[in-house]
Amino acid sequence: MNIALQTQPPALSDYYSETKCIWCDGCGNYGIWTAVKYSLVELNLYPWQVCLCYDVGCNGNGSDKIEGYRFHGLHGRVIPFAAGAKLANMKVPVIAFGGDGATFSEGIGHLIHGVRSNYPITFVLHNNTNFGLTTGQASSLTPQGQAMNTSPNGIPEHTLASMDLVFSLNPTFVARGFSGDIKLMTRILKAAIQHRGFAFVEMLQACPTYNHFATHEYLLDRYFDANADGHDPGNLQQARALATQVQDRIACGILYQRRDAPDFYSRLIPRQGVETTCVEEVRRYDVSEYWKELV
Amino acid sequence: MPRISLKIVGASGQGINSIGAIIAKGLKRSGYCVFGYREYPSLIKGGHASYQLDVSNERICSTETKVDVLVALNHHGLELNMEELKQGGIVLHVTPGWQFPEHHRKLIAERSLRIIYFPVDDMLNRLGARAILSNVLLTAFVWSMLDQDIDALKSLVGETFAKKKALLELNIRCIDEGYSFVDPEQGAISVALPPPDKGFAGHLLITGSQAMGLGAVHAGVRLYAGYPMTPSSPLLSFIAELENKTHMVVKQAEDEITAAQIVSGAMYMGTRALTATSGVGFDLMSETLSLNAMIENPTVFVLAQRPGPATGLPTWTAQGSLLQAANCSAGEFTRCVISVSNSQDAFDLMPVAFNLAEQYQISVIVLTDKQIAEALYTQHPYDQEKTEIDRGRLVVDPEKLKLLKSSDRFNPHAQGGVSLRWLPGSRAATYCAQGDEHNSIGAVDESSLNTKLQIEKRLRKCHGLKAGLPAPHLSIGGRSVETSDWIDTGDEIELLAIGWGSTGDVFQDVMRSDELRGRKIAYLHFTYLWPLRTQELQRLAKRSKHIVLVEQNYQGQLGMLIRMECGLDIPDKILKYDGRPFFYDELLSSVIERCASTSENEKTSPGLEHAGSPS
Repeated sequence: MNIALQTQPPALSDYYSETKCIWCDGCGNYGIWTAVKYSLVELNLYPWQVCLCYDVGCNGNGSDKIEGYRFHGLHGRVIPFAAGAKLANMKVPVIAFGGDGATFSEGIGHLIHGVRSNYPITFVLHNNTNFGLTTGQASSLTPQGQAMNTSPNGIPEHTLASMDLVFSLNPTFVARGFSGDIKLMTRILKAAIQHRGFAFVEMLQACPTYNHFATHEYLLDRYFDANADGHDPGNLQQARALATQVQDRIACGILYQRRDAPDFYSRLIPRQGVETTCVEEVRRYDVSEYWKELV
Repeated sequence: MPRISLKIVGASGQGINSIGAIIAKGLKRSGYCVFGYREYPSLIKGGHASYQLDVSNERICSTETKVDVLVALNHHGLELNMEELKQGGIVLHVTPGWQFPEHHRKLIAERSLRIIYFPVDDMLNRLGARAILSNVLLTAFVWSMLDQDIDALKSLVGETFAKKKALLELNIRCIDEGYSFVDPEQGAISVALPPPDKGFAGHLLITGSQAMGLGAVHAGVRLYAGYPMTPSSPLLSFIAELENKTHMVVKQAEDEITAAQIVSGAMYMGTRALTATSGVGFDLMSETLSLNAMIENPTVFVLAQRPGPATGLPTWTAQGSLLQAANCSAGEFTRCVISVSNSQDAFDLMPVAFNLAEQYQISVIVLTDKQIAEALYTQHPYDQEKTEIDRGRLVVDPEKLKLLKSSDRFNPHAQGGVSLRWLPGSRAATYCAQGDEHNSIGAVDESSLNTKLQIEKRLRKCHGLKAGLPAPHLSIGGRSVETSDWIDTGDEIELLAIGWGSTGDVFQDVMRSDELRGRKIAYLHFTYLWPLRTQELQRLAKRSKHIVLVEQNYQGQLGMLIRMECGLDIPDKILKYDGRPFFYDELLSSVIERCASTSENEKTSPGLEHAGSPS
């Protein structure tokens, strides 16, 4: 990438990576990866303007298959890292990616507090309803009773009602996409990145190697664009009902958005009226004013 | 060095801290050096707690086990603390009709103790004041015993109640009443203080946590994330109290993992961010330490020590986390462990820690302990001019950014293993801060050649870091000396003591004691603990008759690191692991014992053991 020659608007090719893709044939990650690039280009963002944070899992193996300032961290921890990055520099869009294992098992506390805090970041859940990278163990979103690696009789636990949980936290943005619909995902991602607050985006995706229940065809048959059907994202109760009723048809699109709730940073009293970012403020400070009352 | 000690005891929440704090401030303004030490159990109300002030007209930074004045706010103090009084000591109490048991009556006679009953309830009734004002009455009486000016106390109290006129008036009446009290049996009592040194009047009275907080702000820290855990919580509180003035981002996270990750994200983005925790809280942060090593993300963690394992003794002190700091977390990587020792370097070392972190793109762990975090120091105002902000190989110039290649970020051939770093949002080639083993651009690369190169890159930093760290600080007979001047010349050292952290100040006071004045005792103090620089120690050891390790842990953890690094074994150890800091008189007698045995052994060979040859 040659920065000096960038006089043209960003193009998909700016996000090309030399690193070869290693996902399985038919993996939903290809579609999500493509939609992420489309959305960034359509938002007029160059790679150097964005921060992409990846959790551990098959999605995280995408961290070196795209351009942009990227981070690939520890299992379950991507949300607080991304939040810290964003709070330090509010000028850079921060998008975090994590799988259902990282998000609803190891890092569920971080998700809960991330939504509750309304950090101004986008979080993309790669939901293939299993631990793919560790060879197909059940996640807390795997249907109860489904036989998986390490649980040949199916897991004894209840399946976690993920959307109910998210909606219980008073989210400000909830959307759902499907890895087979690039256009839909791109629209959702663009809205999520532009949202001022914590944007929770679930991407339903196929895992052809380990998920033999919610397959690409299964999802393809059931998903639909609720916004095209006239769903109003302003109604929390309707959105919650739509998001959680997934037996026959699976509602996708922007399910809920609230625009009037201030994000975490806007609620910080000490930062009000401060135009600079924390990154720009690093210098030596005279603190003698603060020790006066200690004399 | 003349020293007077005054101890206020009572139930937690009864107001012992406010009495202690106001007397400390008053005495400091009068020209005394004050060292305040708190003991309290891990609960909010009740339980036996104390606030001790050790006072001198010279620099003092330690606590004695024996006191001149005991102020007992309840009868538990009369039961529990009588043994601590010195000959001729004074007991001030508020318990009506208290009958001392036989063994205490004997003690009172033997030590010629003076007992003063202070009828606080009668006074409150007379003044129509609420019980909370009993502390003001007592403070005023103690103030009169110390022969201090009543107006000084009034102006101090006036500062607190400047905006509450009615309250202030009542407080002033309490001061008059308490100050003029004379015990009918004992008559006027006076505790003789040495002549003041007005140099102390303009000093600060500051805790180690406040000092560290000021140091962090001074160092350019713009984001703080923490999770409450004693003794790191006072730092979080202090930073939060200042937030409207500093305009910092302050986040109380949902757990220590989150705090560590938020801070790491913020540092990756390019600000300076800080977190602090203790013991098991640091266990939770240690996975993030490993992550930062892999992505070469500069970070600073404050690890405030208390006794463990587990939650241990939450409100007590220890130096038991040195090996934890030096060794915890997965993988081999370069890190730096430093320790603050008092309110001076709690401030000074914050910019140093951030500079080291950014110069080497590593994590720096700053150790403190409950003693430093909560002790009250008389501190000369800080010299802020000496601080430089060094951000290492950070590229910010737009012209230089244009020239960067992605492969510059983790270039394994970078000088000293430290490659160029630039920040997200910079108009430049991008890279991945990759937690998996990676090549120069941050793409995953598990090949044999790359793995070897990158591990060597990250560990090569240790050489430069170690070579650049300052030498341990040497003092001889209580005087600070240039370590390098003393290494090879000068007389034989009678006793060489090795320590770190809060031990240092107590040892300094011990060396300045009348008992040890003029003795050839050397104290080598380690601030930089990992990587460990041992060349000075090895050379000093060769001309010392006796070496002793002084630490507040069971194993002698610095001794273990010393032996690991250079083979020098120090069999003689003064170790303390009961949750209490070293007390002045206690450490003094341990040192005198060693000096005596050194003299006795003079004719036989000195018992120095070398487990291996110095490297």
